[in-house]
Amino acid sequence: MALDTKVPMGEPEAMRWASELEDVGFVRRILMARKWYHADWWFVTISAVMVVGFIVLALVPQVFASFSPQEQVGPRYLAPGESPDVEALIAPVDSGFSTVGDLAVGERISVAVVMGEPSSEAVRDESDRVNAAFKEQGIDAQVSLRIERYETLDAALTGILDGDVAVAISSSKAFEELAENYPTLNDVGPVAPGVNTRSFPLGTNQLGQDVLSRLIWGTRIALIIGFSSSLVSLFIGVPLGLFAGFTGGKIDRALTVLMDSLYAFPGLILAIAITAVLGPSIFNVIVAIAVLYIPTYFRIVRGQTLSVKESLYVEAARSLGAKARVILSRYVYPNVIPSVAIIFSVNVADAILTGAGLSFLGLGLPPTTPDWGIDLARGQETIQTAWWLITFPGVAVMLVVLAFTMMGEGLMEIFNPKLRER
Amino acid sequence: MHPLLLTFLIIGVPAGIGLVYIFVRGTSSMRRYIVTRIALTLPMVLILATLVFFVLRILPGDPVTSALGPKGSPEVKEQLRENLGLSDPILIQYGRFLGNIVTFDFGESLVGAHRPVSDELGERLPATIELILPATVLALLIGILFGTWAAARRKRASDYGFRLYSVVIYAMPIFWLGLLLQLLFGKVLGWAPIAGRIDAIVGTTLDRTTNFIVIDSIISGNWTALGSALHHMILPTLTLGLVLSGVFVRLTRINVIETLQEDYVTAANARGIRKHAVTYRYALKNAMIPVITLIGLQVAILLAGAVLTETVFSWPGMGRYLVERISSRDFTAVQSTITMFAIFVAMISLAVDIIYSLLDPRVRY
Amino acid sequence: MTEPVFSIRNLFVEYATRDGDVVAVDDVSLDIRKGEILGLVGESGCGKTTLGKAMLRMIQPPGRISGGEMWFGGRDLMTLTEREMQTLRGRRLSMVFQDPMTSLNPLEKIVDHIVETVMTHEPGVTEAAARDRAKDLATRLGILENRIDDYPHQFSGGMRQRVMIALALALNADVVIADEPTTALDVIVEAQFLDLLRELRDEFNLTIVIITHNIGVVAEVADRVAVMYAGRMAEVGEVGEFFGDTRHPYSQGLLKSVPNIDMAEQHLYTMTGSPPSLLRPPPACRFHPRCPHAMVCCTTEQPRFAEVGSDHSAACWLYLEHPNKHPLERVDA
Repeated sequence: MALDTKVPMGEPEAMRWASELEDVGFVRRILMARKWYHADWWFVTISAVMVVGFIVLALVPQVFASFSPQEQVGPRYLAPGESPDVEALIAPVDSGFSTVGDLAVGERISVAVVMGEPSSEAVRDESDRVNAAFKEQGIDAQVSLRIERYETLDAALTGILDGDVAVAISSSKAFEELAENYPTLNDVGPVAPGVNTRSFPLGTNQLGQDVLSRLIWGTRIALIIGFSSSLVSLFIGVPLGLFAGFTGGKIDRALTVLMDSLYAFPGLILAIAITAVLGPSIFNVIVAIAVLYIPTYFRIVRGQTLSVKESLYVEAARSLGAKARVILSRYVYPNVIPSVAIIFSVNVADAILTGAGLSFLGLGLPPTTPDWGIDLARGQETIQTAWWLITFPGVAVMLVVLAFTMMGEGLMEIFNPKLRER
Repeated sequence: MHPLLLTFLIIGVPAGIGLVYIFVRGTSSMRRYIVTRIALTLPMVLILATLVFFVLRILPGDPVTSALGPKGSPEVKEQLRENLGLSDPILIQYGRFLGNIVTFDFGESLVGAHRPVSDELGERLPATIELILPATVLALLIGILFGTWAAARRKRASDYGFRLYSVVIYAMPIFWLGLLLQLLFGKVLGWAPIAGRIDAIVGTTLDRTTNFIVIDSIISGNWTALGSALHHMILPTLTLGLVLSGVFVRLTRINVIETLQEDYVTAANARGIRKHAVTYRYALKNAMIPVITLIGLQVAILLAGAVLTETVFSWPGMGRYLVERISSRDFTAVQSTITMFAIFVAMISLAVDIIYSLLDPRVRY
Repeated sequence: MTEPVFSIRNLFVEYATRDGDVVAVDDVSLDIRKGEILGLVGESGCGKTTLGKAMLRMIQPPGRISGGEMWFGGRDLMTLTEREMQTLRGRRLSMVFQDPMTSLNPLEKIVDHIVETVMTHEPGVTEAAARDRAKDLATRLGILENRIDDYPHQFSGGMRQRVMIALALALNADVVIADEPTTALDVIVEAQFLDLLRELRDEFNLTIVIITHNIGVVAEVADRVAVMYAGRMAEVGEVGEFFGDTRHPYSQGLLKSVPNIDMAEQHLYTMTGSPPSLLRPPPACRFHPRCPHAMVCCTTEQPRFAEVGSDHSAACWLYLEHPNKHPLERVDA
């Protein structure tokens, strides 16, 4: 590096070298921050990604959810990944039968069913339907069945091999268990066509609704409640806090006492009271939860306003004739905004938790809403048999709350100079 | 004896004795502080009760219609309204409300057997206390321990581990944790019961004088009952305690970190005081002060958690009572229960402040 | 000349910051003699406090001592384990801090502070014996006996500072490092404090290092002066020689900046410019951007120490031989 021999008197050379750093772009700054903040950087970044992800899910759930959350799309209580058990047609491999309609061979055909199973009803229903369809289409064929009852599926299947019956009807699962003993027999398909044989990645609930789709749609409700109530609290609490901190005096004292009492009171209980009286609707839930968090914003903002108001540089500014508006905007706002951002993040998390708690208790939301809390409450009844009904909604709540909390925590470590290493 | 009164005596007498002891042994400024603080409790209860009163009245929705449903004829509704005093001007209602609180007259339940609400509360308050107390102790132990460890091992793997623990466990909805514990330890492993305070059959053998099952079983020497009660306490206490510990880990960690950066810690290090002495005697003791005040504020979380835990585990406490009564639209019971909660909060707040003054000499002088 | 009681050799202390590494103490060597009061002077941020803390090896991350030796009691402190350092701290090396208000544990009584220090380093001593020693020490320093059971917040600033000294002396330390001990005190209390320091030095044969930005304090009480600038040592000398014949341009500027009641001029003298950022310090001599005598060599090579008196040296090319001592052309900014 060539050194000037001409050096302006008095300018610290270091200033010129240091200014290079400020020309670095925003993205590079973020990546450089990683080296300094280490794991805290990961905290914030991962949670920010998660938050964005959840927001996307909430905005366009129909893109990600395969089904509507209210629709019954499959049999009830289907385990994750499990195929539903349907009544199926069991036929020899070379028989050429693939549907009940194929059984219209011109004469009566013997069909084996196992006693006590709904198989005979299923095959009869289907044959009736097929016959009606044939008639309508003018096809001169009819399915005519003779039902043979057997005690066990084994006997029924043996019956096919022995030639006593042509085919058998049984639940596909039951057949699956015995399938390897009967290599020449095949499950050629469900008796009733169009019946749903698909499995669902997270299973179905007690109303046959797809758990995954409900989870995705539930994101929308959760985030709506979380964001709306936090925003309402913010827009009421922050101005009140600024006002109280700045004005002081009796008004300040009265407001503070009110807010402190509200703050001390268990939030959920107050929310329970409010929703119970107002009635179940998402709007009421938002209002109830919003009320709970107003004191939080109020206290922090008021505290910051007070300390800034009394700090020396504000006194100095005042002595130079700065108006209240200027003091507020130049000194108070910049100090307050980082805190408010952090509180907001944590608040959304808390609001979602409270909302889930309310709907778990059966209060607040109309019972048809696709909401995680409601799902958890319903799942409680069948907790031992259908473990997936409580597991996944709970994980969903946890992940969303985690994302927002981690973001708030990480932001706090970064913004708070006292906790940073000096 | 009135069950509510009994409960208050059971808590109040030892607390009172402790208070008197502090009073007598303490300095004059300590006494002044205690007196002032107790005097402040009254306005606090007043404010909270007023809040409850007005919230329940201002909000739209007619309690009488809710309680009777559509089947009530207008005359019956009018009668009920009169009985409840809802047709009187609001200030008179308010006055009566305050008067009732002082005499513990909480009216009668609007549903079922119309029992006096104070009786029902009296039976359930001890249940809630028996849940909250061990849960808080558990939460404190875990919280302070983990928090201090995390602070002492700042920026190392275990610090992040503890922070992750505190954040994850608080993010879990408490009722979900309860359900999971029920599933795992109750149903799958079968190690602990998942509902109620005590085994139904064993419960009939117990003489319930105070409604504190632990106390009652010890008094009457009914060890099976004690065992059953403790067994039933495990899962609910674990649920509530674990979730609460997340908050305490965070609080303790932050406060200990801040304290460790204080000048007097540096000065102590400069005098060669050993690291663990510095951590525990200097940092922790000083950090505990803000933590303890904040514990007072966690009461809100504690009671909210209690409501949910009681619901999940069918624990017959005040929280579950509140939820039940709301479902059955029992206005009187709901109002009284919430008022009771408010008083509870005020009392705990008082206790915390007095303990705080014991720890921090700066407050008293 | 006898062996110095504490000898710093080529010490480097670095801090990692978000924007890069900062060298707070850059190749500093200093000898501290037994029984003397050494004044370590410099502006805020020049590294003097860091040097003081480094002497007790109390640099916390993100800072670290990255090089050099510190000889005390026949051993290089850099080779000791943390445990061994802990036995030295408080006992043979002690520190008095700047702000007595925050340096005392608000939850502990004054007497307990001293008792705890004694018992940590002399485990054989009973609590009662330690209490007696504490009482003795406190009264020696002018603290009334009936007040030793009080809490720190009940004392005034001056009294608290005496408590700090008591703590530093509790175990008859060899070297006491006082970091800005009078900054938080008013002038009268400051004068009393300095008198006290002198008495204690005479009575206990202490070695005291006073770190301060107040050159007046140094003039009052020090035997020798060491001036630091931007992490490096600029000038070291016996106090009479230093004030009588200041050599380094920075020290000269410092002295000229102190207002004087005899001053005839209307304007206060100020040095141009401001202390450099230690992130990217000026090359070679750090003072050259502000130095009225700057030469070309000052921008290319760091000056060594030059003997300028019998007990006086300065790190400046003005007093050393160099091929290119051409004056630096200045552009008037």
